[in-house]
Amino acid sequence: MKFVAVIRQVPDGESRLKIEGGKVDLGGVTMILDQMDEWAVEEVIRLQEKHGGESVVVALGPERFEEAIRTALAMGIDRAIHLVAEGYLDPISQAEALAEVIRAEAPTLVFTGGQQADWDSQALGPALAEALSWPVVSWTTQIELEGETQAKAKHDLDEGAEVVRVGLPAVFTSQQGLNEPRYPTLPGIMKAKRKELKKVPVSASSKVEILEQTIQEKSRLNKMIDGKDPVAAAHELVRLLHEEAKVI
Amino acid sequence: MILVVLEHDGQRLRKGALEAISRARQIGALGAIAGVVIGENTQAVAQEAAQYLPTVYAAEVGSYTPEKWAEAAYAAAQKSGAKVVVATGGRQSRTWTARLAYKMKAGLLEDTLETSTDGQHIIGVRYSFLNRVTEKQKAALPVVFTAKPNTTPLAEPADSSGVVEALEVSLPPTVEVLERLSEQKKGVSLTEATVVVTGGRGLGNPEAFAGVEELASTLGAAVGATRAVVDAGWRPYSEQVGQTGKTVQPNLYIALAVSGAVQHQAGMNKSKYIVAVNKDAEAPIFKIADYGIVGDVHQVLPALIDAAKKLKD
Ligand SMILES: Cc1cc2nc3c(=O)[nH]c(=O)nc-3n(C[C@H](O)[C@H](O)[C@H](O)COP(=O)(O)OP(=O)(O)OC[C@H]3O[C@@H](n4cnc5c(N)ncnc54)[C@H](O)[C@@H]3O)c2cc1C
Repeated sequence: MKFVAVIRQVPDGESRLKIEGGKVDLGGVTMILDQMDEWAVEEVIRLQEKHGGESVVVALGPERFEEAIRTALAMGIDRAIHLVAEGYLDPISQAEALAEVIRAEAPTLVFTGGQQADWDSQALGPALAEALSWPVVSWTTQIELEGETQAKAKHDLDEGAEVVRVGLPAVFTSQQGLNEPRYPTLPGIMKAKRKELKKVPVSASSKVEILEQTIQEKSRLNKMIDGKDPVAAAHELVRLLHEEAKVI
Repeated sequence: MILVVLEHDGQRLRKGALEAISRARQIGALGAIAGVVIGENTQAVAQEAAQYLPTVYAAEVGSYTPEKWAEAAYAAAQKSGAKVVVATGGRQSRTWTARLAYKMKAGLLEDTLETSTDGQHIIGVRYSFLNRVTEKQKAALPVVFTAKPNTTPLAEPADSSGVVEALEVSLPPTVEVLERLSEQKKGVSLTEATVVVTGGRGLGNPEAFAGVEELASTLGAAVGATRAVVDAGWRPYSEQVGQTGKTVQPNLYIALAVSGAVQHQAGMNKSKYIVAVNKDAEAPIFKIADYGIVGDVHQVLPALIDAAKKLKD
């Protein structure tokens, strides 16, 4: 069996974002393997541990993505393919480029993150499934293989969840609760340096253009009340919410 | 031509469908608007939709799978010749609309707050970077876009009623639904509430949520929870606010013993007013709070309930 995780590198949510010339400037920002993709990587490693075969990560993005790819390799993935493309490429166009490589790999299944922490997009997994003419299970919290051609999975809907049986190959996207990702170990990090990382240049044009980005952090009142006298503090807060903010 | 995919609950159109119709009307310069109702009991729902739109297709395809929804919407887009497809945002719809955009070779604008057209493109505004950035995007026709719920006024019925047409869709078997687990619903719906009271791990135990519920019911608010609380099994997942939970934008958001991690902020940072109670003056939640009480939640919460009750009396 062969298990593929599609991953991306994104800014750490804790880091401060800057805007330069109307666009988010990632210079100086700490970049990490998207935490929802981390769940996908962990699940692929677990599936391989349980069922044997091979685990592969595939990423489409700029050179800097290599760091996130090495993290996945250090966690335990066998090898990687990096489709190198600079600049913004929308998820639908990404799916097109990724599908070609994934079709050639002919995996048992593909896992990716449920939502991207930079573009807040949920489209890559389902668009990739469409490009491959495979089914998709999004926001997956549990997966179990039933032989090589079928899987049972639980996943979230708008309201509630459902259990589905799906023919393989299929694309799955991750959701919290799926697993707890392991940390790369020192031997893992050493080994990752020697693992195969194939680079393939990609040229594709984006169907979506980003015109402008702004950080409109609402300016907050930041009125602090000392809670040493809890009763007085509570009354003051309720008064402010009623008279000043007029929200209760 | 514009196609609106109309959300419904098997009986009636959902509010999101009426928002989507408003969005379609806003770009009405691009042509006439058709609707499609996909799923079960579509004929009856399509009759209701015909009060708003001149043509409504009814695609009877059974229970939800993204493959079926994408195929049905694609069939309706082809039949009507639509260059733009509008749908409501949400987990399910953002899954099948991605499949649809791929089929149509269309640009996809997800979860837009507003949309407009210059005749050749759709321009959309949306949040990105965990809800921290507001972004303007542009895509040339054809375009598929989803409208974030609660962003658009509900559409009014049209002057004359439209026609309903059954739409045949041939579907490949893919996903078999074995079991559907619904959320238990009580009190005010979290995503539609104007006041939300959220409890975090600092409450210490599930019993302490009795206070959160009491404050919420006094204020007519919905109860929210952090992931730490949901992971601990204190509250159901349906109450989780954040990146992997629900996104809320109430007039008032009260965070009790919540640290305010970025992933939590991603679900609530657009609230009009934010209140935080935390014993740690350095907690990140205070940085985005309008009003904050530095104190022990076990002392402050009962006092807050009292004060709120006095106000409401
Ligand atoms: C990919 C990903 C997605 C995630 N999605 C979500 C999500 O959707 N929603 C979400 O909430 N989290 C999410 N998280 C988790 C998030 O990072 C935090 O771990 C979580 O929000 C912390 O919850 P908390 O604030 O309740 O707990 P803690 O971080 O433990 O904070 C408890 C707070 O309570 C305060 N406190 C303690 N005792 C008292 C007292 N007696 N009185 C007053 N204050 C007190 C403490 O000072 C502290 O600030 C996600 C994480 C990841 C990696």
